Amino acid sequence: MEDRPLDETELVARARRGELAAYEEIVRRYQTIVFRTAWFITRSAADAEEAAQDAFVKAHAALGRFREGAPLRPWLLAIAANEARNRVKSAARREQLAVRAAAERRPGDAVPSPEAALLRREDQAELLTAVARLPERDRLVIACRYFLELSEEETAGVLGCRRGTVKSRLSRALGRLRVGVETADA
Amino acid sequence: MPELEQRLESLGRELAYPDTPDLVRVVGERLRSEAGAVAERPRRLLRVQRRALALALVLLLLLAGAVVAAVPDARNAFLELLGLRGATVERRSEAPPAPTPRSLDLGEPLSLDRARGRVDFRPLVPSGLPAVRAYVRRDVPGGELSLAYGPAPGLPRVKATGLGLLISEFRGDLDEDLIGKITGPATRVQRVTLDGSRAIWIEGAPHLFFYRDPQGLPRDHSLRLAANVLLVERGRLLVRLEGGFDREKAVELARSLR
Repeated sequence: MEDRPLDETELVARARRGELAAYEEIVRRYQTIVFRTAWFITRSAADAEEAAQDAFVKAHAALGRFREGAPLRPWLLAIAANEARNRVKSAARREQLAVRAAAERRPGDAVPSPEAALLRREDQAELLTAVARLPERDRLVIACRYFLELSEEETAGVLGCRRGTVKSRLSRALGRLRVGVETADA
Repeated sequence: MPELEQRLESLGRELAYPDTPDLVRVVGERLRSEAGAVAERPRRLLRVQRRALALALVLLLLLAGAVVAAVPDARNAFLELLGLRGATVERRSEAPPAPTPRSLDLGEPLSLDRARGRVDFRPLVPSGLPAVRAYVRRDVPGGELSLAYGPAPGLPRVKATGLGLLISEFRGDLDEDLIGKITGPATRVQRVTLDGSRAIWIEGAPHLFFYRDPQGLPRDHSLRLAANVLLVERGRLLVRLEGGFDREKAVELARSLR
């Protein structure tokens, strides 16, 4: 690969011509968002890894059908979500996320006072618990839009629905979450 | 932005996600390994080209109305198009090229009881057959249930599937054109009425079987050879029975579905 970073269209063109290094760069760029999206569907790191891996391999095989100039990320996410859904095991134990400990705070973040940090963590933990109590459908649309910060188009691809449906589903999910948070606060 | 949404965005940035695995290395190794396999087996290239040709034929089918009317040669090549809700069968003047043999991808293995809860319809199960392995795919609208039976008297082992009987069921009313089949002239394709239900019997030379994606294009990973098949509409369901049995046995099995 050359030193200057290649734009996505060029990477896709090169990968289509069989340049494996170009495709590996695509994987490098999107592996985190693809893996996390698969995790929110399977809630198993092992299954999410398998789904993400298979998604990248299948996407490589399907590059010839990818519409030139279209954004790659929504396409990859939709393929990964499909792979992840096929791995959802109803009886499996679902992993839960936690809020990062203060020591894991990202570089550059402001350092809050110990009291403020404690309150903030408690507040976030409560909100996370309320999200975890939501039905799967609500949890997933909230995770896509707010945790993964996916666009509406990307969320629609992940959920396998239309963009308009994302809006209505999100609105209902937020309504239920609001009730859950208020009930917990009462 | 309302407070709750702001809190959610903030929470998203503070979540302790599992570490992202090194997919660059693993995916790269898999792709290199597949490329190596192609180099070791030059014949595979020919098969890939044949598969591409098969897919091109399917694409041609999508434009069948216009193409058949406009191009006499295409009319010669294109013998018959039969359809049920959920499936189309195309018969052509040349036998379909054989795709690379592949393992069956039937979805998640489940007990029959659990599988019942994972599809949006009441499954039909043949009477009088031994215990069954059930599989569910959720990438099909309403879900798809597959029931796999081992070889047994009257149900000889089929090379393409390794099974005696494979039954697949899905909501044909949700996707009018989910599965496709291409047959050659040596394959017998016959419309059948089964107790008032529309059905198609496909027998003889192996034919190609594939799923379509939401855009109507074939999903190439699903392309495989199939044995004799009876496709039956049962209400909103499309039921597909595949095996090495004859038409009479297929009809008997279809009638026993409860």
